Amino acid sequence: MTTHIAALGLCKSYRKGKIEVPVLHGVDMEASRGELVAVIGASGSGKSTMLHLLGLLDQPDGGRVELDGRRIDDRPDRERDLMRNRTFGFIFQFYHLLPELTALENVMMPHLIRSGLFAYIKERKAIRRDAEEMLERVGLGHRLTHQPSELSGGEMQRAAIARALVGRPEVLLADEPTGNLDAATGQGVLELLRDLNRERGLTMILVTHDQQIANQADRVVRLAEGRIEEWVPALV
Amino acid sequence: MYKYLLCWRYLRTRYIALASVISVMLGVATMIVVNSVMAGFADKMRDRLHGVLADLIVESSSFEGFINYEEVMARIKDVGGDDILAMAPTMETPGIIRFKVGPEYRTQPVQIIGVHPEDRAKTGDFAEHLFDEQGNPIPPSFAVSDELKARSPAGQRLRELRQEEPDAFLDATREYLEKQQDDQVPTHGAIVGYAIATYHLGNDKPDLFLAGMGSKISLAFPKHGRTPEAGLDAFTVVGYFKSGMSEYDSTHVYVPLEQLQRARNLIDPESGKGAVNQIQIKVREGADLDVLADKLQLGMEKLAEKRFRVWTWEQKQGPLLAAVAIEQSILNILLFFIIAVAGFGILAIFSMIVVEKTRDIGIMKALGASTAGVRNIFLGYGLLLGAVGSGVGMIGGLLFVRYINEIEKVLSVILKHKVFDDSIYYFDRIPTLVEPRTVVAIVAGALFIAVMASVWPARRAAKMHPVRALRYE
Repeated sequence: MTTHIAALGLCKSYRKGKIEVPVLHGVDMEASRGELVAVIGASGSGKSTMLHLLGLLDQPDGGRVELDGRRIDDRPDRERDLMRNRTFGFIFQFYHLLPELTALENVMMPHLIRSGLFAYIKERKAIRRDAEEMLERVGLGHRLTHQPSELSGGEMQRAAIARALVGRPEVLLADEPTGNLDAATGQGVLELLRDLNRERGLTMILVTHDQQIANQADRVVRLAEGRIEEWVPALV
Repeated sequence: MYKYLLCWRYLRTRYIALASVISVMLGVATMIVVNSVMAGFADKMRDRLHGVLADLIVESSSFEGFINYEEVMARIKDVGGDDILAMAPTMETPGIIRFKVGPEYRTQPVQIIGVHPEDRAKTGDFAEHLFDEQGNPIPPSFAVSDELKARSPAGQRLRELRQEEPDAFLDATREYLEKQQDDQVPTHGAIVGYAIATYHLGNDKPDLFLAGMGSKISLAFPKHGRTPEAGLDAFTVVGYFKSGMSEYDSTHVYVPLEQLQRARNLIDPESGKGAVNQIQIKVREGADLDVLADKLQLGMEKLAEKRFRVWTWEQKQGPLLAAVAIEQSILNILLFFIIAVAGFGILAIFSMIVVEKTRDIGIMKALGASTAGVRNIFLGYGLLLGAVGSGVGMIGGLLFVRYINEIEKVLSVILKHKVFDDSIYYFDRIPTLVEPRTVVAIVAGALFIAVMASVWPARRAAKMHPVRALRYE
């Protein structure tokens, strides 16, 4: 299998006042196309930071991020914005839906960001239908016009998944997607992700601190003390 | 597209931000009302000033004036050509009016103006400002009617005697009474400023006439001669001059030109012509008054050096008009500060909203929104708030102006005293004039301030690091 996305020697430190706190020092990892990789590690081990670097939300102090063998982390802002919109999909622990918008509007968001006013007017029906279909796929067909505050945690995460996938990204980056859900709901969300991964051939990187969840991935890596420490074969 | 959606959604869900634009709204409304009322006053005042003063005035530098006014008028016609529509020779002199009110005499300084009433009417709105006791318009004439004569005490007695059989005693009485009547009702009429002749009671009561129609007034004025000497003459009140400009209505007394010339010893014994010290000129509409005034001044200099001065009506009233303009601009500056203060309100509330929206900004960036895009959300939001504030303010201001007289009535009832006292201005309604240019400038200024106030918060939002924004709790 070919490498789809890869981190090579990623370094990142944060500044807390005057002290530099190193978070990642030399993280190497890769995911093949269509692979579901789980990253586990204790809290504060830098899992989220790694995910942000992979998804171009942040820039590494050292090392590089490659997509299909091409370096992407040093691209200009415009291009990075575009890749976040088209290539990557993000899912967060706290769902991060926009509270002023309905579920449908939230899911339409990547399309809305992509298109200008006139492009939207031209394609609004297609955009809307796309978002509706995606919401139906995650089982929220009956919740289109609800505000996030009217949805349950599981529903919000499903809406967030629909939002992450509506723009047809190649890589899905999930940051503790079940971290805020009870076990049964979390399992449901996970199964949905697993199905979508198979259905669409999505490359998925799933960050979690839960071994149970990690075990459902194709492959598990452990992040500890700023490095990928060991490769754990998945126990399917 | 997401920018418009979010601007719109924020506008509809953040009521606190709407509260911040209330001050913009009030500022815009106040500015529109103040400007409209002041423009209305200024316009009305200019109208009235212009109505009383002719377009151009050729004035003699000497108080005694000039005898050869026909020559001067011919010269004016020569220089001005078709632009000159009408001219009126005028003799204006300061003086004192005296008339009997009850047992006492009332005396006050006035401006005595000798005119040919028909000529004067052609050079301005003179005729439109003439009224009788009942407020009916009267023609521009100084003729003392028989009716007025009959109204005098002697006249009334004469009328009674007319019924009786004539005999020698009656004839003598009649002769005596006729003399008395001539004394009580002088041959020459005068049109007196309304505020001189009346007393304003206010509270919707009719004005009290101190010098009624047909009553006798005495005028004193300086006579022509080496040593100043007072001249005296008596006139009959045949009408009132009411222009609405209290400055004029309380000082002007119009009398027949020839009579004033005679009384002031200003008639040349050889030619029999009298002197005037002003020529009032009516100019074709659309002619440039300043240019024409300069041209006439030059023409007059050629006729006689330094003897004439040509004024436009605006120059004559320059200080008054300038004062109004200055008042208006100072008020505008002060009121604009209100909107500027509102701008800081928007700045403060916007900064809070940006903090509140920190995580949403992170989300949008994670979904691919650009820095410029995020900035434009908040700039657009500021513009939208400004538009709502100035739009509502504009509508409110215009409605207020439209119904200002009704509002004034309601306020007067509530406050139990007249808010707009018409006796001061003689306006029965508050004059307003909405200038579209001013309204546009006010609204544009308010929008500009609203946008300027949102620039800083919007930049801060745009610069936010997505990861830090996402982690923000």
